[in-house]
Amino acid sequence: MTSATFNLKPQTSNILWRIVDLIVGGIFIYAGALKMFDPVRFASDIDNYKILPWTIGVALAFYVPWLEIFCGIALVLRFLYRGGLSILTALVLVFTLATVAAKVRGLDITCGCFGHASQHWSFPAHIATNLAILAALLALCFQAAAKRKAAH
Amino acid sequence: MRAQIFVFALSIVICAKAQAELKWEQTTIELHPTPADKQAIGHFKYQNTGDKSVHFKSVRTSCGCTAAQTQKDEVPPGDKGEITATFNIGDRTGTQVKTVTVETDDPASTTSVLTLKAVIPQQLAITPTFVFWQQGEAPNRKTIGVSAAKDFPVKHLKVASSSPDFEAKVSEAGNGQFKISVQPKDTKQPIAATLTIQPEGSPKTFYATARVTTAPAINSR
Amino acid sequence: MKSALVCQTLVLAALALVPGIGEALYFHDKISWRSSIPASEMVSVEQARAWGDSAIWVDARPDEDFAHDHVPGAFSLNEDRWNALLPQFLAAWSPSKKVVVYCSSLNCNASREVARRLRDEAQLKNVFVLEGGWEEWLKKK
Repeated sequence: MTSATFNLKPQTSNILWRIVDLIVGGIFIYAGALKMFDPVRFASDIDNYKILPWTIGVALAFYVPWLEIFCGIALVLRFLYRGGLSILTALVLVFTLATVAAKVRGLDITCGCFGHASQHWSFPAHIATNLAILAALLALCFQAAAKRKAAH
Repeated sequence: MRAQIFVFALSIVICAKAQAELKWEQTTIELHPTPADKQAIGHFKYQNTGDKSVHFKSVRTSCGCTAAQTQKDEVPPGDKGEITATFNIGDRTGTQVKTVTVETDDPASTTSVLTLKAVIPQQLAITPTFVFWQQGEAPNRKTIGVSAAKDFPVKHLKVASSSPDFEAKVSEAGNGQFKISVQPKDTKQPIAATLTIQPEGSPKTFYATARVTTAPAINSR
Repeated sequence: MKSALVCQTLVLAALALVPGIGEALYFHDKISWRSSIPASEMVSVEQARAWGDSAIWVDARPDEDFAHDHVPGAFSLNEDRWNALLPQFLAAWSPSKKVVVYCSSLNCNASREVARRLRDEAQLKNVFVLEGGWEEWLKKK
């Protein structure tokens, strides 16, 4: 799975992957910033999933947005890159599972992922967006792993 | 490289539009009713920009004070319409936010939340609206502060007490501020009065209550 | 290789804690930490019933709902006819009473709004909101 297989110059392949880094990192910086400005709203969004006790939800409402911002920056700057990638992948996995669980339990939630900007989205749109982001993250993970293998 | 194509393809799939599509002109409407209005009405206009009919499954409001109606249940492609949300103001004050939740069979947006924000003008701020003395308490004067809002200048205030047992006097503190001084003739019996506060030149009447409350029973803690 | 990954994850997690805690301190008094509604405002059906005669019940629902059925002895006080209904309620109130406001269920907002107005405008103390509302009262009959 190297760029040579597709007759692409290594530079072009690198640039394309960097673009994916920037897009995904940018999405998380944006999503994190939206939530960071209104932690009270985010805390009540988390509470709507009825998975965590209120106090923990509040603590997460203050912490998670910053985690997203810092990890998004890690992706953009390629600094602490793999750490950022793993944390973000774990976050999206958890968000997706929580969304599915809420739907199964018949809860009426606003995702809270993009703050109240996403409140008008339907369930399929939410899941599709989460899966798309997850796919991008996993692709970046595999690419990073492949690069490390090639370097060794 | 395969992974990149996969990511790209996935993003195209996400962007593909569904067949029917109900587009709202606005999903949040802010209204500024006048003091004389009893209702605030929001017109949420929509259009079916898809090529399949959209059907309304349900229209629910967040409270009994708001009624919402669609003109029709089925919206053919290209058709426009509106959901009319009527909010009964009653004696509410401040900024009221009521929502209308609309469910349709449009796969792109099965549930839409329409928000009606009504900023109800507050001509006078009365603090407190209730003064009381306990039975046996010294019948000293108590003060009710009245403050006129900046865009509703009030020159004079007329205050009337519904009972001769309570005396109410108005004094002007200037700058739209007034003080209503209330005093019961005595606190021997539980008595009550409604104070009618009438700003000069305004059709709207405001109220405050004055009472002598019953003394707590000797045996209660 | 694994340890570098763990190390990076820990560094990022720790870095994010700093502004997170800062923000939590900033919002410290703007959010309720123990429950989604200030704990002091809510009261359960059992607790409210236990107050017996020292409780005064307020029905914040629309007139039709009140007329249909309500807690025995409750006063109707809603925002549609606040001015007309308030004096009746105040006539029965005294400082030793605990006010219990309810609306239809856990999710309705009317009881909180009425409770807020009683506290802010009439400046009454000991105003509570019934947890679960009328729905909960019926269940625990």
